[in-house]
Formats: sequence, structure tokens, C-alpha cells
Amino acid sequence: MAEYLPWLFVIGASLAVVVALISLWLSLSLALSDELLGGARAQLTTDVRRDLLTEKENLLQEIRDIAFEHDADKLSDSDYEEINAKLRAQARHVLHELDVGAGPFREEAEALIAERLSDEG
Amino acid sequence: MPALDIPFFGTLVLSLILVSASYTMAVAMGAGQGRPHLLPSARWGTYATCALVLVAILVLAYAFQVHDFRIRYVARYSDRSMPWWYLITSLWGGQDGSLLWWSFLLSGYTFFAVRWLRGRYTELQPWVIATLMSILIFFAILMLFAANPFATYIRTTPGDGEGLNPLLQNYWMAIHPPVLYMGFVGWSVPFAILVAAMVTGRLGNEWVRAARLWSMIAWTFLSIGLLLGCLWSYEELGWGGYWAWDPVENASFMPWLVGTAYLHSVLIQERRQMMKVWNVFLLFLTFFLTIFGTFLTRSGLIASVHSFARSDIGQYFVWYMAFLLIAIAALMIWRLPKLKADNEIESLVSREFAFLLNNWVLLGMMVFVLIATTFPLLSQWVRGEEVTVGPGFYNKWMVPLGIVLLFLAGLGPLVAWRKATGSKLLRAMAFPVGVGLAVAVLQALFGARLGYPPVVEPTEIYDTATGTVLAWMSAIAPGVSFATCAFVLASVGQEFWRGVRVRMRKGEGAGTALVNLMSKGRRRYGGYIVHIGVVFMFIGFTGAAYDVEQESALRPGETMDIGKHTVRYDQPRMETDPNKRMIFTDMTLLDESGNEDGQVAPGKFIYRTHPQMPTTEVAIRSRPAEDVYVIMSTVDPSTQRGTFRIIIRPLVAWIWFGGIVLLFGALLGMWPTGRELLRDEAPRSRRFRFSPATAVVGFAILLATMIAWVGVASAQNDSSSSLHAGSVVINDPVERQLFGRLLCQCGDCARLPLDTCACGWADDKRIEVRERLAAGEEPTKIQESYRAQYGAAALAIPSDEGLDRALWAVPIAAMALAVGFIVLLGRRWQRRGVAPRASTASDTSEKIEYDSRLDAELDRLEES
Repeated sequence: MAEYLPWLFVIGASLAVVVALISLWLSLSLALSDELLGGARAQLTTDVRRDLLTEKENLLQEIRDIAFEHDADKLSDSDYEEINAKLRAQARHVLHELDVGAGPFREEAEALIAERLSDEG
Repeated sequence: MPALDIPFFGTLVLSLILVSASYTMAVAMGAGQGRPHLLPSARWGTYATCALVLVAILVLAYAFQVHDFRIRYVARYSDRSMPWWYLITSLWGGQDGSLLWWSFLLSGYTFFAVRWLRGRYTELQPWVIATLMSILIFFAILMLFAANPFATYIRTTPGDGEGLNPLLQNYWMAIHPPVLYMGFVGWSVPFAILVAAMVTGRLGNEWVRAARLWSMIAWTFLSIGLLLGCLWSYEELGWGGYWAWDPVENASFMPWLVGTAYLHSVLIQERRQMMKVWNVFLLFLTFFLTIFGTFLTRSGLIASVHSFARSDIGQYFVWYMAFLLIAIAALMIWRLPKLKADNEIESLVSREFAFLLNNWVLLGMMVFVLIATTFPLLSQWVRGEEVTVGPGFYNKWMVPLGIVLLFLAGLGPLVAWRKATGSKLLRAMAFPVGVGLAVAVLQALFGARLGYPPVVEPTEIYDTATGTVLAWMSAIAPGVSFATCAFVLASVGQEFWRGVRVRMRKGEGAGTALVNLMSKGRRRYGGYIVHIGVVFMFIGFTGAAYDVEQESALRPGETMDIGKHTVRYDQPRMETDPNKRMIFTDMTLLDESGNEDGQVAPGKFIYRTHPQMPTTEVAIRSRPAEDVYVIMSTVDPSTQRGTFRIIIRPLVAWIWFGGIVLLFGALLGMWPTGRELLRDEAPRSRRFRFSPATAVVGFAILLATMIAWVGVASAQNDSSSSLHAGSVVINDPVERQLFGRLLCQCGDCARLPLDTCACGWADDKRIEVRERLAAGEEPTKIQESYRAQYGAAALAIPSDEGLDRALWAVPIAAMALAVGFIVLLGRRWQRRGVAPRASTASDTSEKIEYDSRLDAELDRLEES
């Protein structure tokens, strides 16, 4: 082992040098071009919808946990109903916001589908 | 490569790292400032920088293997006789190399974090990359200008190296520093994600989710690293303990305390969008403390068994820490309006409030440790007097706080989120409290007979009322600790049982219900298993109250009795290898009937490169009930007469077992969900794609490899060593108390009290002190004269008067103020109440439709 180890390090270091050089070359060529890869510009827009989806997931998790804690006898019926009602009201609000926000996308999608269908006859 | 000038090439690579990291940081910042096409460029720049760091570490590893003693670092920390595996551990055995190792681990984290971020959290990515690169730039500057691991000798090149410190030639040392560094460095990623969130103003739950996995990984590594440090200390330093409250140990413990507080309080933000400022503060503080801890270790400002040589790099750290503090404060002030909570605590009897209390205790402990660790420096600056804060101080104050924390670990799971119903909570507490009380009663009745009395002899660190109160608190601590452990175990057990029962009501069998419960609530039940691990560790810590030790001089064939054991000294023997001479003393453990119950062979190693530093190899026979810890202090080659110190350490093995349970719980908590695994496979099934799934699996493989490495290394060198282990005879409690307060002043044994230090100077001093005690002199007078003779720093614990009192008064006052603030805040929140957002779906039919969609979503969640 001891005799081969230095050569393993040499090979490893040489490969790493090659990787470093290729990566640097790619980095520089991308920096100097104005081309967008992978729809980066689209991804860089602020995404209100994503925040709403996160909030929805959190609320669903909370509603599930509150139900579990009620079933596990940690919450009285009245406390459970009060908290559950609050959480559901918030969740409905988030769903509504999502629906409102999805309107333009849905219209666009429907238009695209209609166009495609008419093209295909 | 042999034709290449390795030192020059290494330094060149370090320079390239600096250039590449700076370039990548600039490109990433450009991407964050409205030039998105630069983001892929920054990503490739990151990979290039990481590859360069890999080149640097491999070149240094190569230099060690080929004994290139032109490089000063290689010559100082290796020699020709060292086996290849210690030549690898030498990479982090000294200051300069460990900084490169640090950079290597950081680049590893950076690479995986940037791969993981591809396609997600795009807005955060540029600033995450820029922040990680800024940290790497700092370490590159350090290496290039203050601690170059490739620096050469100015004149002659030595023919052989000085060799690695014998203390570091141990298998635990092969694994403890890398794991601990993984814990330290790991906090850089959540820190970078937080900085990105602060800069972009995206301060909702997005960054919390992004940082979750990485903070769990860092915390787990830090926890396991700390435990491995305890193992190293226990087996290697040979003084019989595993934690000495050394400044460097404290430096690792502080980020762990704050990181633990963060992992709890961030759950509140995830669920309730509350405590945003607090979580930001905790995560910043955790990262800051990792840098501060490194500064303490590297600067040599505070005396410690771990310290590297005093060097110039301290000033670099001071500037970097100042920069961090200013940047963090500026970011927090700038973003304060965006960090307002969306909700309020609904009840003081809620899981949220229990977590607040948990944060209070953890931060209180951190403040205690921080003030005590830095007090010698503060005292020097404020009044020009050097003082020492020894383990006795920490043990007395930390034990009660630790028990409160343990109690909260049991209480938390019983309390419901948002608002616990009082009567239900009392009912939930009945069983755990009953179990705790039953254990207390059983211990009171039978504990003394079994060797575990609930109350032990009180020892005072101060001759004041505070000292008396602390002494009694520590005297009853074993009983309270065992009862609290039972309470927590019962509480967690009850939580599992309740969860299983809920699922069984839905028609699942007990086994299926348990598996489903854990798989659908990995974080929650993983966390509970971590709590169980902590309980086992506390059982081990509590065992320290029942230590018994004894010393005897024996000739071959003679025996000594200790506790229920009889130990027979059989014979000395010598072995050699190219690196060292090894002198062992074979001993046999006998049970009460005189039958053989095991063999141990404590020894001494004399390393070729460090003949002046013979190491004492302890031998440990470990059982769940107790460890028999045997130290050979001396052996006379002509008469074969040996002096031995034997310590019976009850329950120590539970600490290590608790660590394994903790690791299992942490892995369960991190394990990806089915959806995450599927997301991995669905879009690009043939290509490797980094995700939480691969992160956790990779983490598990890494840990398994490290454990296997320990196995290999331990098979190659199954022994432990100590430079300071030796013979210390304590005759009575008065001596124990007094010797524990006086520090050895020989000049070499920093921070070792006379009840532990075995050097010749300490031996002579103990004889002198014993004579004075025998002559009727009061211990307090002896202590005062010792202080007058050697200065305040010669006492292990500062006095309980004047500025010294600030050592405990400041943290206590801070904790009292904080608890008052927490209660006031809670009450204000409660009075204000929660105004739920009105549902916009006011129409009844719309409400029904949304409700049915919610139910469908809940079913989907249940099935996932």
C-alpha cells in the first residue's frame, strides 16, 4: 500500500488539475458570452406562487399534526376544533390565492392546447 | 511529479485558489445583481476552485508519503519511521496543514452544496456561492501569508523529520479531528444560505427549508466529533476522564449548544412563521462561534492541551471576526422590517413556549461557557491579573443546567403545538412523572446497597454561601439526574405508544403502526430517538459521581483490591516496532470468587523521535455497568516492581452507546421522504443527480467508512497513551477538595490540578501540603498562601469575591433577565391574541369545494 499511495496521489492531483482547467475554461467562456443556460433568467424571477405552495404544504402539515395530537389525547375537542378551524381558514385562503394567481397561466395553457388541437385538426 | 518542485507547486496552487475563489465570488455577485447568465459561470468557477483545493491537499499528502523534508510542515509533523496511515493523519496534525484540511472540507461542502442547489433556490444561489467563496478566500489568505503548509526551510533540509506528536498517533485522533472539522465547517453552508436570503430579502420559509438538511448534517458531525473527542481524551490522555472543560473543548461545545438551540427554534419558524429574527441570530451566532473556536485553538491565546503554537494567525482571525460581526449586524438591521413574525404564540402552555425555554437554557449554558473560557483573558486585560478557570467551576454550574435541559427534553414531546389543553397535559405527564418518582424512591431505598446512592458527598469550590449551595446541588445531582432520565425515557416511550395506538385504531397492526409512525414522521421520531441517545449519555455522565480510584505498588504475582475487583500483576514485557519501544505490564482481573475475569495490559510507549515524552498507555476493560481503567505509572526494569493506578468508572459505556443512538436518530431525521427519492429517479433516471437523498446516503456512507477506518486503525494499534497519566494518591475528601483547587506550577502541566497531575513537582507539592494539613493548618489558609506564592492563576477556580464573582453572576443575571423577558413576551403575545386571516372563500359552496380539496391534499400527504 505504502509504495502505491504516492502514485495514487499523483494521479489524483493530475486529474484534479485537468478538472480545474476545464471548469475554469467553461466558467470564463460562459461569463464572456451572454447566453442563458437552462432558462436561468426565467428562474431568477420572483416566485410568489412558490411561496404560496410552501405555505400550503406547511398548513397541511400543521392540520395533520393537530389532528394527530387530538387523536393522541393531547388536545381537548374544543381546543382542536378552534385550532383546526383557524388553520383550515388560512389554508382555504392560500388555495384561493393560488387559484387567482394561476388564472393567467391557465388561460395561456388552455389557449396553447386549443391552438395545438386546431393544428392537428 | 518527482521532477516537479513540490513546495513551489504547492504554493502556486494556493495562489491559484485565491485567484479562482476571488474570480468566482465576483462572478457570483454579478449573477446576484441582475446578470443571471453569470450564474452557470459562477458554478463552474466554484468547481474549478474546489478542484484546486483538492490538488493542494493531494500534493501535501504526496509530500508526506515521499518524506519531502524540504517542506517545513512535513519535517515537523512526520518522520521516516511513521506508517502510511499516520502520514495521512499528519495532514491535520499541525497548524498549517489543518488550515489546508479545513479548506479542503469546506471545498467539499461547497461542491456538494452547489451541485445540490442546481435547479432549486435559484435566487439564493449566487449569494450562497459568493459567501462560500468569501470564506475560502479568507483561508487561502491565511495559508499564503501566515501559515503556508508548503513553506520550506531557509537553509538546510533535515535528513529526517521530527515526527508526529505521540499523542496524535492514535486511531481516535485519525477520526476525531476530521469529524469535528466536518461539524465546524458544515455550518458554513447554512450560514451561506442565510446570507443569501438576507441579501435577496427572501426571508420566508424558503431559506429555512434550504438550510435544514445542511444544518442537520453539520450538527450531527459536530455531535459525533465531540463524542469522539471525549473518547480520545478518555483513552488517550489517560487521566481517567473524558471531558476537562479545556478551552478548545469549550470552543467546540459552544457552537453545538447554539446550533442545538437553532435546530429547535427553527421548527417554530417553519410551522408558525415566528421567531425569524431569533433564528437568524442563532444561525449567525453558530457560524461565528465556529470561527471564534478556531481562533481560540489557533491563536494560542488561552492555555490548553490542544493548542497549536502561538502564532500570527490570531490577528487575521480577529480582523475576519470583526468583519463578520459588522456584516452580520448590518444585514440584520437592514432586513429587520422583513423579519417580522406572521403569527404569535397562542399559549404559554405550548410546544413553542417549551422550545423557547429550551433555547433559554442552551443559550444560558453557552454564556456560562463563553464567559468562563474567556475570563482569563478578560481578567488579564481589565486588572492585569492572570486567573485560571478549571473544570471544578464548570462541573458545579453546568450540572444543574444540564439537568434542567434534560427535563425539558422530556417535557417538550408531551406538550401540543399552539395550545396544550391543561387537563390533557397533566394526564400526559402522570406516567413519566410517576416513573421518575418511582426511580427516585427505588434509588433512595436500594441505591446505596448497589453502589449508586442518590446523594453523594458534597464538595465546595468556594468557602461561601454560594459554594455551599452549589455543593449541595451537586451532592443531590445523581439522584435527580437518574429520576429525570427515567422521566424523559418514559415521556418519549409514551409518545411512541400514543402514536402507535392512534395508527392501530385505523386498523394497522402494532408492528406496521410503529414502522409507519416513524417513516411518516421521520423528523419528529428521529428527534425523539436523539433525545433517547442524550438520556443514555446523561446516565453515563451521572456515573462519574461514583468513581472509585486507588493506587498501589506491586511486584509480579501480587494483587490489589478495588471495589468488587481484585487485580493481579503478572509480568512486564517489552515489544518494539520501527517507530517505538513498548513496555507492557500484563495484569489479570479476578472476580469475587477469585476466578479470572479478563486480562489487561497497561503500558508505556517510548517513541524514537520523542524519547523525552514517554506515553502512558491505559488499559480499559469496559462493561455496561462499569469500566476498569488501569494506568501503569512506573515499572522498575531491575526489580519488575510497578506502580498502578486503577479507576472504577461506573456507566461510562452508556455515553458511547448514547452516541450511537443519537447518530441513528439524526440519520432517521435526515432520511429523505419517498417523494424526494422518487423525484430523484423520475426525470433523469440514468444520470447521477445530487439531492437530499444522495446527501443523506452519502453522509451515511461517509460515517460508515470513518467507523471502518477506526476499526482498521485500531486493529493496527490497539492501545491508548498519555503524557500526563501517573500516580496520584488521594487520602481523604479534604485532600481531594484542596488538591482539586491547586494547579501544578511546574511549567509544563498547564491547567492540571494537583489531584490529577502526576509530575514530580506535583508529587513534592502534595507531600508539602499534606504535612501542613497534618500540622493542623486550615485548607483555606493553605490555598491563600499558594495563591500568594504563585499568583491567582495557580488556583483552579477564581475566588468568590470582587470581579471574580462576575464569572457566575453575569451569566446568572443574564439568564434571569432572559427568563423574565421570555415570560413577559409570551404574556404580551397571548394578550394580543392571533388574528387569523379571513378566508377569501366566503361563499359556502366555494368553502365546501376548498375543504374537499384540502381533504384530498391531506390524504395525499398521508400516503406520501
